[in-house]
Amino acid sequence: MQRRGFLRCGAYCGLIGVAGSLVAAEGWQNPPRLQRPDPASDEGGLWAFLDREEARLKRSRFLLRDGPLNHYVSGVACRLAGDHCPDTRVYLVRSPFFNASMAPNGMMQVWTGLLLRMANEAQLAAVLGHELGHYLARHGVEQLRDAKARSAFGQFLGMAFGAAGVGAAGSLAQLALLGGSFAYSREHEREADRIGQELMLAAGYPPLEASTVWGQLFAELKAEEDWAGDAGTRSILFASHPDPEERSLAMAQNAATMGGSNADTGSEALAQQLRGHRREWLEDELRRRKSGETIALLQRLLAQSDNGELRFFLAETYRLRAAAGDSERALAAYGEAEARAGFPPELYRSRAMLQRQAGDEKAARESFQRYLSLRPDGDDVEMIRGYLREGS
Amino acid sequence: MSRSLLLLLVLFLSGCAAMAKIEPGEVKLGEAMTATPDSAWNRLAIGTPKNTEVWTSDGLPLDRLVFYVGIADGEPLAPLRERSDRQIPKFRAAMPAHEIVEMYEVFASYDGSTFQRGKLAPAQFASSEGFRFEFARVRKGDELDMRGVAYAAVRGGKLYMLVFEAARTHYYGKHLARAEAVARSVRIGR
Amino acid sequence: MVFRCDVVLHAEPGTGYREEALGKLVKRSRTGLVCRFWLMAFFLCLPIAAAAQARLAEGFSRLPQGALVTLMPLDIELYSISAGGVVEPQAEWTAKAHANLWEAFLTRQSALEVNFKPLPDDADEVIQRLNRLHGAVGLAISGFDLPTKEGRLDWSLGDEAIAIRNQTGADYALFSYVRDSYASSERAAMMVLGALLGVGLQGGMQVGYASLVELSTGRIVWFNRLLRARGDLRELDKARESADALLAKFPE
Repeated sequence: MQRRGFLRCGAYCGLIGVAGSLVAAEGWQNPPRLQRPDPASDEGGLWAFLDREEARLKRSRFLLRDGPLNHYVSGVACRLAGDHCPDTRVYLVRSPFFNASMAPNGMMQVWTGLLLRMANEAQLAAVLGHELGHYLARHGVEQLRDAKARSAFGQFLGMAFGAAGVGAAGSLAQLALLGGSFAYSREHEREADRIGQELMLAAGYPPLEASTVWGQLFAELKAEEDWAGDAGTRSILFASHPDPEERSLAMAQNAATMGGSNADTGSEALAQQLRGHRREWLEDELRRRKSGETIALLQRLLAQSDNGELRFFLAETYRLRAAAGDSERALAAYGEAEARAGFPPELYRSRAMLQRQAGDEKAARESFQRYLSLRPDGDDVEMIRGYLREGS
Repeated sequence: MSRSLLLLLVLFLSGCAAMAKIEPGEVKLGEAMTATPDSAWNRLAIGTPKNTEVWTSDGLPLDRLVFYVGIADGEPLAPLRERSDRQIPKFRAAMPAHEIVEMYEVFASYDGSTFQRGKLAPAQFASSEGFRFEFARVRKGDELDMRGVAYAAVRGGKLYMLVFEAARTHYYGKHLARAEAVARSVRIGR
Repeated sequence: MVFRCDVVLHAEPGTGYREEALGKLVKRSRTGLVCRFWLMAFFLCLPIAAAAQARLAEGFSRLPQGALVTLMPLDIELYSISAGGVVEPQAEWTAKAHANLWEAFLTRQSALEVNFKPLPDDADEVIQRLNRLHGAVGLAISGFDLPTKEGRLDWSLGDEAIAIRNQTGADYALFSYVRDSYASSERAAMMVLGALLGVGLQGGMQVGYASLVELSTGRIVWFNRLLRARGDLRELDKARESADALLAKFPE
């Protein structure tokens, strides 16, 4: 495998040290249930702020209120959280990015972009377990304290430089610091990975699936980098989850020492739950216009279940990307979608547009007519009729 | 961040004349377009990208009328900061109406807002065979329900578009007729 | 109702999508900073003298005797700014400020015997929608001068506002919004140090507005904007002063 610049030293360099510490690590023990902190403390301040955020989230237009889906995801989180289940509240948010988070007050968010990318229930458990890891090990508060300590020092430096006439001083330095990222440290991320896998094992999931999650993410990022020619360091996916390849390897290593490899991954259970939502989430995914990642995602989903709907979305990705050769790729993919069950009638509309652009007027008309017959009450009926008039 | 401070300074110094009044009558928009509103509007005089005009009646957070004037083949609708990790769709002269709307959708949902296209039909715009579409959007920042209507046409390989969007409660209904009247008055001249 | 940033054509999502607890905090202060920029841009684009500026809608001068005014949920956040400029929400302060401002509103000496009544807690869909709309309206009123308004206070929440009257029996609703930041003691020390080095540091600001809505029509009949570098909501007596400033020239 070709090394890419953004992997820096290379996963293997760091792995030896990591693997060493993993093998030596003791099994994770859940702490007792976390108590509400004194409101006057910094943790208390954070907690109450988050309580207000949670109240806002409850009213949010972006919250998914689907009963069965919420129940299902909460169920997985609960199994992982054990004694902490009563303190854990799960919210599903409509957003096409791969993200989940858990706040120090027990509020957990899972974004639809992440749900879309889960191949099975065990992978979902891996992500939720990782977030529970941050919560149980109290990483959030450590981070706040660390940030305050670092930035006070930084501002002092800024002021000192400013007074000496060097660079931006005072408020600009302050702003620069405020704008800096407060990412969880690498140590925090590794610890959460470890705890997550322990929680998976305890709840009856195969810990190796955690490694697969990151491997899949890495493949998406690599595909985007291959397409966009960018190191991908500024990808939203990448920014909040550094070094997915390294972590994938580390977690595979860890899983090998843990057992539980025969446990059921629960792929059918998850597929059933997501069935009614996937189309909307794929439409959101298309809108991101990150074709490299989207194509990698769709190809992975197709490997699990080759159906007309997924083929249609693959075709749409090519059509919207509109790079050299994409029109042909899209038309081929529409053809494959049509040969399978589950494709939406919009296939004919999209295909017609490409056929017209390719100069195949007869085929375009047929496709438009086909679409009209399947969606006689569509809100774009007049426009389609207009297209048909154009061609004649 | 320092860019914001600079802008802030500029605002302060300029006496903050950020909005200019548009009186009823013929108004020039960009290089090639005119409109003839029959009532007064406010025009945002700072910070709009080239080829774009922004009008409002009750304030930008509540209602806005945005003109895209002569977007050329290969250009984006607006110069979003070119992030190499996101493909900014570019206008192509051969785009059918659906694809132009899909392109607009990317800009309208860029910040995480939802977007739902409604009715799409051919319509006269700027004395050309163009199209008109409606849409609904939940704005990400303040989760306000928005409704919109847009007119567009491609002339001489360039895109001319007018988008009116306002808060669904009260403001969309309040200004819709006036916005449609502005759309009907748009001409592309030389 | 919270001030948000989608005032420009296309809001940049550059602040990132990290929703981890702390990430959210920083994101809000980062977006908060950009928001604060726009906020400040708006507020600064006013005559400097207008640190607090009350406006009345045309044809409205006073509340009727014994009017019932619904107090919409107060939107208040208090922050401390640590030495390095980390903006940190302060739960205890905010809770106190809530209580104090509430108390100050409810126990105001009113010549017209205006009664304030809090909105019942379980806000329904319509009320939430109106709250969000009011947030945008507040931003629009405080924002760039609109020449077509010719200095008039001429905004409305529309017909739906009657829903608040139906729920509460009140004829008017008072919305208020306050963002208040205070320098922590470390910061105060930094400010002194900064002064010695000749560098200015921001010590804290009080930004907000209060808005009175006539529920039968939805019209904003009175609006008061507040922007100043002093004020304290943490102690009741000082909070009364802030409440008085927020309700300066309240039409009672």
